[in-house]
Amino acid sequence: MFLTRSEYDRGVNTFSPEGRLFQVEYAIEAIKMGSTAIGIQTSEGVILAVEKRITSTLLEPSSIEKILEIDSHVGCAMSGLNADARTMIDHARVQAQNHTFVYDEPIKIESITQAICDLALRFGEGAQGEESIMSRPFGVALLIAGCDENGPQLFHADPSGTFTKYQAKAIGSGSEGAQTELQENYHKSLTLKEAETLSLKVLKQVMEEKVNSVNVQLCSVTPNEGFHIYSEEEVNEIINTL
Amino acid sequence: MALAGEDFCIVAADTRQSDGYHINCRYAPKAHQLSDKTVIGTSGFYADGLNFVKKIKQRMEWYFHQHDKTMSTTAIAQLISIMLYQKRFFPYYVFCVIGGIDENGKGCVYSYDSVGNAERVQYQAAGSGNELLQPFLDSQIGLKNRSNENETLNLTEEMAIKIVKDAFSSVTERDIHTGDCVEIYIIRKDGVECQKYPLKRD
Amino acid sequence: MNYPNPFADAIDYQRMEQHYDQEALDSLNAISPMTRTQQPIVTGTSVLAVKYKDGIMMTTDCLASYGSLARFRNVERMLKVGDSTIIGASGDISDFQYITYLMDKLMTKEYNANNGQPLAPENIYEYLSQVMYQRRNKFDPLWNALVVGGFQDGKSFLGYVNLRGTTYQSETIATGYGAYIAQPLLRNAVEKRNGEPLTEEEAKKLLDDCMRVLFYRDARSLNKLQRATVTAAGVNISEPYSLETEWAFAENIRGYGA
Repeated sequence: MFLTRSEYDRGVNTFSPEGRLFQVEYAIEAIKMGSTAIGIQTSEGVILAVEKRITSTLLEPSSIEKILEIDSHVGCAMSGLNADARTMIDHARVQAQNHTFVYDEPIKIESITQAICDLALRFGEGAQGEESIMSRPFGVALLIAGCDENGPQLFHADPSGTFTKYQAKAIGSGSEGAQTELQENYHKSLTLKEAETLSLKVLKQVMEEKVNSVNVQLCSVTPNEGFHIYSEEEVNEIINTL
Repeated sequence: MALAGEDFCIVAADTRQSDGYHINCRYAPKAHQLSDKTVIGTSGFYADGLNFVKKIKQRMEWYFHQHDKTMSTTAIAQLISIMLYQKRFFPYYVFCVIGGIDENGKGCVYSYDSVGNAERVQYQAAGSGNELLQPFLDSQIGLKNRSNENETLNLTEEMAIKIVKDAFSSVTERDIHTGDCVEIYIIRKDGVECQKYPLKRD
Repeated sequence: MNYPNPFADAIDYQRMEQHYDQEALDSLNAISPMTRTQQPIVTGTSVLAVKYKDGIMMTTDCLASYGSLARFRNVERMLKVGDSTIIGASGDISDFQYITYLMDKLMTKEYNANNGQPLAPENIYEYLSQVMYQRRNKFDPLWNALVVGGFQDGKSFLGYVNLRGTTYQSETIATGYGAYIAQPLLRNAVEKRNGEPLTEEEAKKLLDDCMRVLFYRDARSLNKLQRATVTAAGVNISEPYSLETEWAFAENIRGYGA
């Protein structure tokens, strides 16, 4: 397989004869090495949970941020090259604020997801002749969670600029196991509380270290409270119920 | 002019286009339906008004394709303010009112100056007859300066239409720029209706 | 007899050219900033048009005035655009000639596109309105009041657009002096018919009568006119003709008359 790629995996804008863009595929591959992130959508709200890899005892865990706020009603979890996510989230925040400024209403979750994905393909020239602004595709996948007039929603965006709506989704190194686990345990009438527990239960199974309040990060997005990151105490409370 | 009821809204405008003492045209509509929940009335420079409405409709179309929904009245209200302010130093010479139903199903009216100052109000008169119309509305709808302070108004659609017709026929009497025909848009939660009534043509 | 020299204040351009002096020219430019058109120069007066049974009828005279001077007396102020539209122009003639060029360019483009869908009068009118409006937004207006008449697919079209981009459509349109003098006569004639359209003969007479009144009263008019019709048969602009006038009464007028 690697033999057939050799000629076509350099240029980001060149299709292989089989019709593939290898750099984009490699980027998707890169995510599979990233830390695990999980999103679960319920009728009461959406939960995002991520694993933090504490690679050294000297590392300050609070400096690893893998869940970020886009707007007061949208949150985002990432897996892959975190630095790439900064660009995307900066863009998303500007888009969200601009929408509120112009239309006096919160932006829809699907629209903000689309706005993020519009960036993903900017490694090539734009359709209107815009200069390319990046030398390679993003190496990060995002789980975008939010609540709007269509209720709580969860979207997955990958480096190819494709986005898909999910009820529950796992990305990153532990995603295969986690996704199977989610598939088995997810049902439509899940409460937010149950989703909190489920997310940590799944993380626990796919993480190498033992789950504690420092090596996971958890957030919820609900219609009333909006985006909320769980404090260590809140995380501990859930861990204790596992 | 526009006025809001509990669950309906009315936007009305005469159709005379004048230029000084000339009557250019007896039927040149300046109220336009933007969606099935929102209607805009424009006064001032007719060409600016027409082109401004055209631009709003274009922005609404883009919004529809981008977000897969029709713009709400409040979103349009904010957009108009911004579009007007963007031309702060070469303004659209238009004085708009918009009327419609908001997200909560309530009647609402927004009033603007030509550079985008916006205010949500219960009723508003704009244009050449506004000095005559606004006090009449203050009295009849705002119930201003009444001896009985506890007086309340339960504005029904029939009453509102009657007030609008009276308002326009009175203004036609004294304002040379108003006359010929009045178009009354009634915005209800299930859609928009447009009624036309003749006014004096002198 | 001592006549005042009308050119006393004028700059002596001839002398400046003889002793070509860049510095003098620069200082001249410095005191007079660049300006846009602020007045029309060579002008045409009224355009009249009505809808009638078969389509549109329009009249203009053939005069292009230079101030009060009747400078050009054989000017066509109506322009055929495509097979179903006509544009009548009052105001600055050079701006109208530019519009002629624009229309020619537009129709050439249409011809080359050859898409089997000719531009309707409405389309030409909208295009023209946008040109006029955009020029006014540049503070560089085309100094005209234009009347667009058309007949296509059994429908008459009659619209007005001026230097500010102001537009309206109406049964009768009159520009310039005609707006004061002819418009009331036209409206009166149309309105008393109660929706019954004018016949060709009636429309002809109506417009001729109006043009006659205008010729009596408008000092920038000429008794040499053209009449155009736009009907199912297409656009037809007549050869110039004159109206019968009666000036005997002038003998008795004293002062400004009545």
